[in-house]
Amino acid sequence: MTSAVEPRFYTQTWDLSYRHALGDTTSRFLAGLAEQRILGRRCPSCERVIVPARSFCDRDHTATSDWVEVATAGVVEMFTIVHEAFRGLPDPPYALAYATLDGADTALVGYVRGLDLTDLPSAVASLAVGNRVRVAFSDTPTGTAADYWFEPA
Amino acid sequence: MSAVGVLGVGQTPYVTRRADVTFPELVREGALLALDDAGITMDDVDAVVFPLAPDALIGVGNGERWCVEALGAAGKPFMRVNNGGATGMSAVIAAWTHVASGMFDVVLVAGGERVSESGSAQSVLNKMWDVGYERPIPLNTITMLALSAVRYMHAHGADEADFARVTVKNRRHAALNPLAHLREPVTVEDVLASRVLAWPIKLGDACPSSTGAAGAVLVSERYARAHGLRPAWIRGIGQNTETFWMGDRVGPRMLADHGDADALAVAFERAYAMAGVTDPAGQLDVAEIYAPFSSVELHVIEAAGLCGKGEAPARLAQGDFALGAKGTIVNPSGGVLCSNPIAVTGVARLAEATLQVQGRAGDRQVEGARTAVASAIGGDHQFYASLVLSADLEDIA
Amino acid sequence: MTRSEPAPPRVAVVSCVRDVVAREEGRSLEEMIFETSHRALAAAGLTAADVGGVVLSGNDQTDGRVISCMTSAGPAGGVGRDVTMIASSGEHALVYSWLRLRSGQGETVLVVGWGKPSESVSPEHAELVSAEPYVLRAVGMNDTIAAALQASRWAAPGAPPAADDVVAWPLTAADLPARADCVYAAVLAVESAVPAGASTGPAWIRGAGWSTDRYEPGARDPAAQAALHAALAHLDRGDDPVPAASWEAVEIAAPSEPAVAHAASALGLPAGTPVNASGSLRDAPAPAHVAGLARLLAAATTVSEGRAGVAAGIGFNGFAGQGATVMVFGRDAVSGGDAVSGRDTVAGRDAA
Repeated sequence: MTSAVEPRFYTQTWDLSYRHALGDTTSRFLAGLAEQRILGRRCPSCERVIVPARSFCDRDHTATSDWVEVATAGVVEMFTIVHEAFRGLPDPPYALAYATLDGADTALVGYVRGLDLTDLPSAVASLAVGNRVRVAFSDTPTGTAADYWFEPA
Repeated sequence: MSAVGVLGVGQTPYVTRRADVTFPELVREGALLALDDAGITMDDVDAVVFPLAPDALIGVGNGERWCVEALGAAGKPFMRVNNGGATGMSAVIAAWTHVASGMFDVVLVAGGERVSESGSAQSVLNKMWDVGYERPIPLNTITMLALSAVRYMHAHGADEADFARVTVKNRRHAALNPLAHLREPVTVEDVLASRVLAWPIKLGDACPSSTGAAGAVLVSERYARAHGLRPAWIRGIGQNTETFWMGDRVGPRMLADHGDADALAVAFERAYAMAGVTDPAGQLDVAEIYAPFSSVELHVIEAAGLCGKGEAPARLAQGDFALGAKGTIVNPSGGVLCSNPIAVTGVARLAEATLQVQGRAGDRQVEGARTAVASAIGGDHQFYASLVLSADLEDIA
Repeated sequence: MTRSEPAPPRVAVVSCVRDVVAREEGRSLEEMIFETSHRALAAAGLTAADVGGVVLSGNDQTDGRVISCMTSAGPAGGVGRDVTMIASSGEHALVYSWLRLRSGQGETVLVVGWGKPSESVSPEHAELVSAEPYVLRAVGMNDTIAAALQASRWAAPGAPPAADDVVAWPLTAADLPARADCVYAAVLAVESAVPAGASTGPAWIRGAGWSTDRYEPGARDPAAQAALHAALAHLDRGDDPVPAASWEAVEIAAPSEPAVAHAASALGLPAGTPVNASGSLRDAPAPAHVAGLARLLAAATTVSEGRAGVAAGIGFNGFAGQGATVMVFGRDAVSGGDAVSGRDTVAGRDAA
């Protein structure tokens, strides 16, 4: 017989690091952000303008064929306002939305800034599905998708 | 092809934390419960399918390999399925495939989950997203479904109280289920007053992070007949996959709306066609459907053909889908909203559906249930699995 | 009441495509998967819209993607279709594809396996997290160390280091698998859906066996390669097994060259049967997760290109070969044609 022990815990961290190859298409989209441009790719089969730019269309399993610059304004398709803190993610509150920019057939995800998020009902009202937003760009681009966000139009 | 039966199912209670066992020991508990229920031992098992979703949630890469000794499965054919949240049911369908291939008579599905050991589950789950475009945006499994809920509200005129009524129903059911994780009954007011996670999803709309294990034993028809057994029968299976890109599920050119579950409806249709289900609402007694947030259950009920698009809130408000109501009872176990052991959540749906059609579901039993549908969802509302179960092999229609 | 049980359909690998790059920095993993899947479908005369299902396999720690099937299902042609990710090892995805068709789920399957270790800053570190956290991780277990522990069981007692490029005694760099960025894609079809007039013939799947042994290297004898023997036993239970004595070529993925040699010697192959004609572990690089799939498909290619009438692929997976898979391919769908095709391929084998 062994005497009872308290269950023990062993703390481990996965500190795996990666350097992900983004490919030519995503690289060009990200470079466009520094020029305050939003770029899409057209699918030759379904003719959708896919934003953000992707090198293939998963609907038709077809390589996209040409670049299309879309507008920097569009319509909110869906949104959420985050109030919960998740470890490793930004401090709340923050708002996220998908917006279909004019000239695009798919929606782009981004932060929504320029809203008072502390007042949830008014923030929700100003972000209603169908409302217009415009894309704002960072003055100090990092070459990532963090270089743009949406603001109420 | 020969029919495939469910000879036994097992589930541990679903709880926040288990400090008394390791992960393999936890998996073993679920496997032994399933084997005992089937009246067989591991020696009788021809092959094992192991459901395990993100490795990072248990903190061991290819954690399935770590469990071979605990399962007593050394030397047996063994493989792992990972379809995100659909993993458990996709693993059941993989086990069905093993049996239906004619190669195996007895296949065990066994797995477990202990999300509580991951200190940062939603940070892990942010790494699901595309490396170039989405990871800088703090998407996770809560925000992705908050986005869906907003579209459902917009399209169908639903409100937060409609979502809250799903939680109220499921908690009432879970109170009757000794295995469920969240069993405290709540009111609509309680849910509406709970703290906002990602609007419109509040704590009361959200599933818990559950620790637990589940297993199931699938057998061939020839094995069941040779041994005089009476399993529940899997009558139809159906899977489907949607585009990963949530931004492609909105706008004028979308094929399926992120606010609805149109691609899941296709998976249900595939399972119904195979099973001969022609009128789901009239022919299915029970639905054990995967809905980790209250809003999701509404559009899954609709995708399953239990009511028309946008009608689920009104039907729920008038008391339908709840234990005691007429028609199909939805999530009599309390569902995923009350217990979400991610890797085996889909196995739990099969287990609950099996108990129901066999009249073994205790206080949560749907009276006279003979048929059931079960479903699961994985990825970013992207991988869909469904199956139809019945007590016998008579025509369902 | 007895329900009829028709015989399961015969299944063949009808196209097989690979994309192997030492370090692919110009394309994303998803772009590699799209291109390779598209080529495999085209080689089978199909588009994604035609295919009956998609089976995927990747290792999330290698690729740095959590639930990597999310971003890869679309490029693999999975939208609108049944997609299942078999995450235990690439060769299990091929086995599962075969089971899918045998079970009557559609007429074709696209199977795609991948690994892009160049994106991982330290692939060894990604392997380390496959060590259980309590003991093996503390000693820094990874595939190389596990392979060396296994090979130490075969090393002569007191043998001196073989060379100055020892990585982990007794293994040298030449004994160990090399990594590369790889995507493998293949189309499987039932007999009625095998395309006519393809440039290469179908490689009929004559049987498969797979098994997984205990996890703890200390709880098994890694030198015994028990998983392989169990897999061979399962293969023998198939409905049309082909004994190893009839195999004309074998492709083996294993943790080390000594492990390849021991596996090959245990098979009882006829003298002179080529083993790993597609290249050594170092010359045919693949990350561990897809190495087995690569060898199984290499065996299929050996048959479809007419270099053998019957060929087998073997893949090990896990630390020190915890799991093993065997799949046998034939130019003929059933036994009976074997003697003829065996004679036919003697010349081909000599030429190879």
